[in-house]
Amino acid sequence: MKSSELIQGTLDMLILKTLALEPLHGYGIALRIEQISKGVFRVNPGSLFPAFRRLERAGWIKPEWRPTENNRRAKFYQLTTLGRKQLKAETEEWERQLAAITRIMRAPAISDL
Amino acid sequence: MFRIRSVVAGLRALFRKRQVEREMDEELRDYLDAAAKDKMRSGMSREEATRAARVEMGSVDAVKEGIRSVGWESTLETIWQDLRFGLRMLRRNRGFTAVAALTLALGIGGTAVVFSLLDAVLLRPLPYPESERLFRLFPLEGKRKRGVEQASYADFRDWQRQTRTFESLAGYQGVSLNLTGTAEPERLEGSAVTPGFFATLGVSPVLGREFRSDDSESVAVLSYTLWQRRFGSDAGIIGKPIHLEGRTCTVLGVLPPQVRFRSHPWATPVSDIFVPVVPTPARNWHSVRVLGRLAPGVSKEQALAEMNGIAARLKQAYPESEALGIAFEPLGQYVVSDASQTAWLLLGAVAFVLLISCSNVANLLLSQGAAREREMAIRTAVGASRGRILRQLLTESMLLAGSGGAIGIALAYWAIPLVGRIAPPFSSLFSRLQDANLHLNWTVLGFSALLSVLSSVMFGVLPAWKATRPAQSSFAASRAGGMRGGLMALEVALSLVLLVGAGLMMKSLIRLLEVDVGFRTEHLLTMQVSLSEAKYSTPEKQAAYFDQVLQRLAAMPAVLSAGTVTDLPLTRNETSNGFEIPGPHPGQGTAGYHAVSAGYFRTMGIPLLNGRELEMGDSANSPLVGVINRSMAGKYWPNENPMGKTIVVYRFVAERTSAGTHVQFKPHMLEIVGIVSDIRQLGLDAPPDPELFIPYDQWPAQEMSLVLRVAAEPSWLIPRVEKEIWRVDPDQPVTDIKTMDEWVAREAAGRRFILLLIGAFASIAAVLAAVGIYGVASYGMRQRTHEIGVRMALGARRQQIVWLILRQNLSWLVIGIAAGIAGAFALTRLLASYLYSVRPTDASTFGLIVLVQLAIAALASFVPARRATKVDPMVALRYE
Repeated sequence: MKSSELIQGTLDMLILKTLALEPLHGYGIALRIEQISKGVFRVNPGSLFPAFRRLERAGWIKPEWRPTENNRRAKFYQLTTLGRKQLKAETEEWERQLAAITRIMRAPAISDL
Repeated sequence: MFRIRSVVAGLRALFRKRQVEREMDEELRDYLDAAAKDKMRSGMSREEATRAARVEMGSVDAVKEGIRSVGWESTLETIWQDLRFGLRMLRRNRGFTAVAALTLALGIGGTAVVFSLLDAVLLRPLPYPESERLFRLFPLEGKRKRGVEQASYADFRDWQRQTRTFESLAGYQGVSLNLTGTAEPERLEGSAVTPGFFATLGVSPVLGREFRSDDSESVAVLSYTLWQRRFGSDAGIIGKPIHLEGRTCTVLGVLPPQVRFRSHPWATPVSDIFVPVVPTPARNWHSVRVLGRLAPGVSKEQALAEMNGIAARLKQAYPESEALGIAFEPLGQYVVSDASQTAWLLLGAVAFVLLISCSNVANLLLSQGAAREREMAIRTAVGASRGRILRQLLTESMLLAGSGGAIGIALAYWAIPLVGRIAPPFSSLFSRLQDANLHLNWTVLGFSALLSVLSSVMFGVLPAWKATRPAQSSFAASRAGGMRGGLMALEVALSLVLLVGAGLMMKSLIRLLEVDVGFRTEHLLTMQVSLSEAKYSTPEKQAAYFDQVLQRLAAMPAVLSAGTVTDLPLTRNETSNGFEIPGPHPGQGTAGYHAVSAGYFRTMGIPLLNGRELEMGDSANSPLVGVINRSMAGKYWPNENPMGKTIVVYRFVAERTSAGTHVQFKPHMLEIVGIVSDIRQLGLDAPPDPELFIPYDQWPAQEMSLVLRVAAEPSWLIPRVEKEIWRVDPDQPVTDIKTMDEWVAREAAGRRFILLLIGAFASIAAVLAAVGIYGVASYGMRQRTHEIGVRMALGARRQQIVWLILRQNLSWLVIGIAAGIAGAFALTRLLASYLYSVRPTDASTFGLIVLVQLAIAALASFVPARRATKVDPMVALRYE
């Protein structure tokens, strides 16, 4: 199954949503997105990591280095207050757009009548 | 949105690069590990999982590049990389960089010089508050309602009393006054002004006050410079007496230093002294120039309507008033006069030079681009986008333009004062340059920087775009590229236009200097004497003074002969007046009136055509006689001999009454006793007018010019002459001591200035165009080296090869010359007002210049063509 293409803005929103529950590291975010979308969206690192930096620069997510086993450390991302606000705003906008598209797609065609 | 976090993170990425990179590596490695572990959980082996994870990620470097490009600092880094790389490329090709930078320096520097001229001319001509509300008023007269410079005093006063749209009106006149006192007598240039003049301008004196209507005539206001220079910045000068024209005047005030007032735009000395205007009641005697300040909230149209209404009413009430209407001109525009026209013309000319230098550099870049094809191919292959390469090439162009601009500014810094020095005096251009203090200022610097950027786009875009195109086949490249040829044609056309312009100006100047002035100009010393009114109040005293001075001067051994005249020729001065021809066929006429000494014509070398010269015998007691010139004889007595005929001449008499100075013209009978040849009175380019010469004993004047014919070079004689004159009256200043050759040079000064500048531009343009042609021909030759080798090996002769190279460029050259001729035809009419006796489409000039241009082009193409034949065929055949 080919993974569908995600537009940049939508990917940002999905990452924020994924982090809404708990902080995760890079792979964790990718896995979670894949799992919850039931394999529809498989994000590759080439899009993922630039997105992280983007969200970081915007102040919506915050990096945190946590120690792991093997005395190493991993970079975890956490949603910030600003990020939460942004997620809420984007969710509302997305639902608005989705409802509108759904209405259009479900509307009976003239020839159907 | 300016996010601090983003800025901080970006700075960290720039300055802690290693750490950031390490973190990135770490994060990516962790991702791979996590991915591999995940895959192992679904059953893959360790090696398989690791490989699969790596394949999923793809190129780690690409991912890292993707991450890096998110931040603003990456753009900065690429720009920095571009700059360093560009500098390295420029340093590598030193020859190319030098030629290109120098070429641009000439273009940008030249344009900066002319721009500074324009800036000085147009820059704030008026240092007065709200100067856009100041206007000059001109009465409209005559059938064609033409504007004249001056109004009558009486009209002016009525305008002043009746206007509501003008906050205030003021009048002024140019005056020259003798200042005497403890130091050497000095002649001051100044203005007579009406009360409230300076208030109208918006200026308050730094000391004292200005004129009021209840002030006497014997008061004066000084300019700041005069006060410093002559009165030692004496703070107690107010109320002190000074001696003007033999009268004692009280100093009322001193003006602030920024006031540089001129009685007319081309008056070269700024007015140093101000005195009150003497009222003249006659409504047909024009004496004052009028300016005014619009009342707040009033528009120009409202004021025009009101003033024209006032003028119409005055004309009805006083028929002898000659003003039928009034016209306005903003004072700033009046002051600038025709200086801006000259400056724009020169800017147009230098723009051509800039265009030529840009297209030369573009051609250089095109040639270089072809040589860098391999480099471009490699860069594209390793993944550089076209936009990235383009950006880098444009950065190179900007570096080139920047260095060219820097050298250009250095050139301009040296050239601008030079241009200021050769500006023609007694022109509004000179006045503007003086007042604005022509120098390299920040505006010019800013303009040059902008120009550098603009030029880099002009010459850089095309070659950069072409260089990033996929490589063409060698066949296509060997054709003299249409772009190169087109640029060459453009250069030839532009330089042709400039050369034609310079040629026309040169021919015009030569014609002007060849004009027969009608008298002998060599070894002729001239000077001006204006007798002070108080001391020489009667005509007898005036005549006696000049008698004594001439006697003394003629006695000097170095002086061959001496004479005197009112309104010296070639000084753009003339006093003309009417006369009447009585008798059976009465008539009227106008002529220039000159009072002269006996033997004046001999001194000047003006040939006598008929009758006799004026002699000592023609004194105040004998009947009035006069000599006329050939133009006057031909105009008013076309079919008869005017010798012995009598005309009625009108003598100007000024009487001081309680109402002011009353002006009258008293008639006298005059017998014509001689006819002399014509001279150029007003200037080299003005045709002779009718002139009448009367002995000054019979027609004394207060102000006359002395002329001395001396045996050798006159300049060293000047102090001795001055001393002799001061022996007669030590308080009488002698001014404007010049040789007649200097006056002639002054006549030509304006045109010479333009010729020098356009000539310089044309020469630079011609050289640059020649270099451009050489470059294109060289390049074409190199492209065809292989082909030439083949031809020579097959037995082609030298001339055939040369002709082959020449022919390649020929069609473009012909197009260029044709375009140049057409352009010159269209554009030289802009020079028409500067040309003398030469038509803007003068065929011989065009023909000569076309030949010159062809010769230059032929030579520039010929040299590389000959070089092509010197190549060893074996070497050429191996050339790829």
